[in-house]
Amino acid sequence: MVTKTEETQLNNLENQVDNGGGGAWEYLSLIRKLNLRRSDKVLNHGLSILNNPKFRSTLGPDEWTLYEQVAVAAMDCQCLDVAKDCIKVLRKRFPESKRVGRLEAMLLEAKGSWELAEKAYTSLLEDSPLDQTIHKRRVAMAKAQGNISGAIEWLNKYLEIFMADHDAWRELAEIYVSLQMYKQAAFCYEELILSQPTVPLYHLAYADVLYTLGGLENLQTAKKYYASTIDLTGGKNTRALFGVCLCTSAIVQLVKGKNKEDKEGSQVQSLAAKVLEKEYKQKAPDKLPQLTTALKSLTLSS
Amino acid sequence: MGSDLKYEVAQNAYIKLILHSLKHPTSAVNAILIGRVSSSNDVVEITDSVPLFHSHIGLLPQLEISLILIEEYFSAKGLNIVGYFHANERSDEYELGGVVKNIGDHICRYFPQAPILLLDNKKLEALKTSKDSGAIVQLYVRDAYKNWKLVQSDGSSRFSLKEPSANLVLLDYISSEKWNDIVDFDDHLDDISKDWLNPSLFN
Repeated sequence: MVTKTEETQLNNLENQVDNGGGGAWEYLSLIRKLNLRRSDKVLNHGLSILNNPKFRSTLGPDEWTLYEQVAVAAMDCQCLDVAKDCIKVLRKRFPESKRVGRLEAMLLEAKGSWELAEKAYTSLLEDSPLDQTIHKRRVAMAKAQGNISGAIEWLNKYLEIFMADHDAWRELAEIYVSLQMYKQAAFCYEELILSQPTVPLYHLAYADVLYTLGGLENLQTAKKYYASTIDLTGGKNTRALFGVCLCTSAIVQLVKGKNKEDKEGSQVQSLAAKVLEKEYKQKAPDKLPQLTTALKSLTLSS
Repeated sequence: MGSDLKYEVAQNAYIKLILHSLKHPTSAVNAILIGRVSSSNDVVEITDSVPLFHSHIGLLPQLEISLILIEEYFSAKGLNIVGYFHANERSDEYELGGVVKNIGDHICRYFPQAPILLLDNKKLEALKTSKDSGAIVQLYVRDAYKNWKLVQSDGSSRFSLKEPSANLVLLDYISSEKWNDIVDFDDHLDDISKDWLNPSLFN
């Protein structure tokens, strides 16, 4: 995950590079370090370095890393000729490399030659069955072809081997959400919360999924997880504050007439509402009237 | 259900939809259409749009909150939520997914003539060369059996851009990378000082 400081640093650097102020190599290195996807910029600035033999020779062995970075960016931008040239240079330098083999397979993928790409990945996996990137390429390839059930199958197989890969669990959860398979998505977030109990994002996503599923029990659990998100973020998470209000309102509607007063629950709601109003007053005063009415309507219906 | 009803989208509303899609080219995005029925009762005038999300589109809480706040803001101005816009994750996908239909159905409960507009990636790609002045979206409306049906754009066009120059203005915005400035509800919920009305976008 990218921190605020890293983001500011990146944006400043990006601005500088875009306006001809130099620092392209530092910018590209930072993108690699943070593992970000800014393909158009990488392609643009990376190519200008590669086309400058003087500067390129100062990079030493990093030159090859740059070729690889530009190749991947070029494929993402559908500049397949550039990608092909980069990969050719790398192949010449590293004739036996599996890593270059992976790039060649990705190029097949970018061209839409799915079967050839699949063959290439299969043979690469025979040599190194634990290569995570290649396993993930298979998932991505199924997704790119619109074969979502295939993507789910590959991901599940992948997670059987690499259970600790959080990004993969998240990806699987998001695919399930997009297919409205909320129960399965909830399971993924449970796994994530178990392995990383202090990441508020997982608590929030889990609560969101449970709220979407609906039903008294899910709503009550959702509310607890919104509350823990608020706890973990020191009250700074707007979504969780809204979530508590939504849950309370929905729960009260469900148990209406059953005379099951939930005193503690409405307390949490009014606290959350107060924080929201304070935040909006400070940061978005022109949106305060809508917020106030919205919160009121949520309490009224409760 | 008013089968002759026409839909007309204003330039700024249209441009916001497309720029939002361009800002997040690798994910599905959606937006809410704002407007009213014309006084002659035969045209749904889409006068504005609010970009919603670029992640977790299938989750309910963020959608409910944004709809409440948006409705609240525009009803004070005599405007309603009149439709839904969606752009698929993959550029070659031309179908309405389950989530999209559900959100469309939800909006129809309050505004029965609400359409779904789906981004037409082929036309978006061809925009630079084609000089086509037609909207680069597809129109879906519900038939008598409440199924979403694509309205073919040939023949009597039921969907049009209010300003014929909209695509030219859009191209201008694209070339100056204006999409960077678009704020959607996701951004607002992450940092509420970001304004989902995008008031300074067209200045």
